[in-house]
Amino acid sequence: MAWKFDKPLHSMSDAEQNKKACDVWEGESLGGIAENNNRVPRAVIWLMVMTIVTAFAVTNPLWGQRPTASLYVDYVKLMDSPQVQAIATDKGKMEYIVNNAKSSDSRTLGLQDRHPLTMDDLHVIKDQIIELENKGVDLEEYTIIGPYVQLANFEGEPKADGTPSRKQPFWDKGYTIDIFYVAYFCIAMLIVIKRLPDYSWKPDHSVAH
Amino acid sequence: MFKYLFAKNEDIPPGTAAVYFGFSSILWFVIGTGLGSFNAAKLAFPDFVTGSELFSFGHMRQVHVLAVIFGWISMAFAMAMMYITPALGNTKLWSEKLGVWNCFLWNIGLSTGLTLLWFGVTSGREYSDFPWFIDLYIASFIALPMAINVWMTILTRRTQGIYTTNWFFGAGVFMIAIVFIVGNSPEWFNLTGLSEAYLTWWFAHNVLGLWITPIAAAIAYYTVPKVTGNPLYSHRIGHLHFWSVVVFYSTPAAHHLMSAPLPEWLKSFASVEGVLILVPAIAFVSNLLLTMQGKWHMFVENVEIKFTITGVLMAIPLNMQGGFQQTRAINWYVHGTGWIVAHAHLALLGFSTFLEAAAVYYGLQTILRRKLFSLALANFHFWFLLIGFSIYWVSMTIAGLIQGAGKIYEVPYIDVVIAEHPYMIARWVGGTMVFTGNIVWLYNMYMTAKAGTEIPEGRLPHELAYER
Repeated sequence: MAWKFDKPLHSMSDAEQNKKACDVWEGESLGGIAENNNRVPRAVIWLMVMTIVTAFAVTNPLWGQRPTASLYVDYVKLMDSPQVQAIATDKGKMEYIVNNAKSSDSRTLGLQDRHPLTMDDLHVIKDQIIELENKGVDLEEYTIIGPYVQLANFEGEPKADGTPSRKQPFWDKGYTIDIFYVAYFCIAMLIVIKRLPDYSWKPDHSVAH
Repeated sequence: MFKYLFAKNEDIPPGTAAVYFGFSSILWFVIGTGLGSFNAAKLAFPDFVTGSELFSFGHMRQVHVLAVIFGWISMAFAMAMMYITPALGNTKLWSEKLGVWNCFLWNIGLSTGLTLLWFGVTSGREYSDFPWFIDLYIASFIALPMAINVWMTILTRRTQGIYTTNWFFGAGVFMIAIVFIVGNSPEWFNLTGLSEAYLTWWFAHNVLGLWITPIAAAIAYYTVPKVTGNPLYSHRIGHLHFWSVVVFYSTPAAHHLMSAPLPEWLKSFASVEGVLILVPAIAFVSNLLLTMQGKWHMFVENVEIKFTITGVLMAIPLNMQGGFQQTRAINWYVHGTGWIVAHAHLALLGFSTFLEAAAVYYGLQTILRRKLFSLALANFHFWFLLIGFSIYWVSMTIAGLIQGAGKIYEVPYIDVVIAEHPYMIARWVGGTMVFTGNIVWLYNMYMTAKAGTEIPEGRLPHELAYER
């Protein structure tokens, strides 16, 4: 188990250890089967990296979240304004509302873009949003499901009053654990693979077969 | 079989246990897919066999599922282990007698368990439906003897190195024991609620992830180099595959319960790990397809390679589906629909079945030293299996998308049932083709044992496939 670290990306085993491994590799037939010492292809490494990045990106609750009622509060406020009332078509009204109620927060803006509404949709949820506002609840805890504005089914950490938070964070400790877990895996795999003889060595299968 | 149960170990011919396991697995495959065809007929034609509680869908469904998992798939695995493990260690199976007893007790236990399930004696938990005493029996008389035989054969090998296939075999029998004991703990300790739900799906996920997927892959690692004569493309990718299965497949159980009130961080963790099952999949598929270099003609000409490479290729859609369908963005739509049923069949009837069938074909011919009775029937089996499965998979995927839309847009349930009806008939047609193909396979292998041309010493069955 002799280690060396002068060229870790070449091999982490010393020459003697590598020679032993090569002798066994070439010298015995495992039921008539041989193995090559080819490197992990670059395309495969690239796919692995892309998979890891995609795994975090695609599972992030930022995507696939239902729209919250808070996204449309400013839309509802503008609905009855004289400027909107002066526009003849519903399409024109909606364009005016969207352009004038754009959030300055890029995340909210993205959510507004991903969850567009028509004037008809807005009419359906308008009274429900006003009623909830009057109650003084946090509209970020309410989601739009079809024609209904409902308390989100997400249950997170308890709030000060003991009830669970209904706001889904876009990052939680599950992702933090994953970062460490994946990092440990990559380091361990690098060590396992780099303990083998360098991939430039090609076993001669005619020795044992 | 009975004469070998009480014979001395040295009097039992090498390969006996593998042959019994091989034929048992085919028989269970016929039974399992026959039950599947029957159940599919009940969904396609609601008036088919009514009036008897025993033949109701609720009684029959889990008998089909467990007959296929623990009869066909697991016994084909045991068969592969009984002949491949010693072959790779240049040795004999540690104990043929233990293997024969293992096969005998397996058939007894499984028949008893499935009969009890049929009569409604069940734990009520999907995939771990067997009652606790059958679980205990499986752990003691099925899993443990198999594990001992595999481990002892590896320990008493005559080689220094251990080939990739045997890493998976040795680890797989250990992991299935853990999965079985921990996964059934709700029943041992009367756990209820979320703990029960979580452990139920931890079991279901890991029966696939730590048993069926790695062992099926291990078989391909043997079949492709052995039959093509090519060396395995990369020992390094083998390491990457093995460790990524262990690391990434063992963790995502919570992604089966994305809508349950489990801690959200656990779902986030599991969901990332769920996508990362693509890491072992990429390693596996690339290693095997690169091993085929220069031998692609065998994909057309050779039965074992045809089955194996088809199974390897199915790993691509399987893992793309599996990796992404569990994410929050997709799961809310497909959860609880036929999409999942299609995916489960892609894993069990597609990917793993094709790999195991190759091992059973190759193993029985090699051990019996008999050439396949009929190559034409083997091809018939392959195409009926492939076309039947494809019809099943496509129809259930479409039905699942219809159900998903119906669920989200709150379409009345009966309207969804009517919309799905053509796909349920297609499902039955596909499933029945698979069943028919398997009957032909059983006949072909029986005739191979009885009347197959003897293979001369020093030759391998696939070398003689086209010789009369």
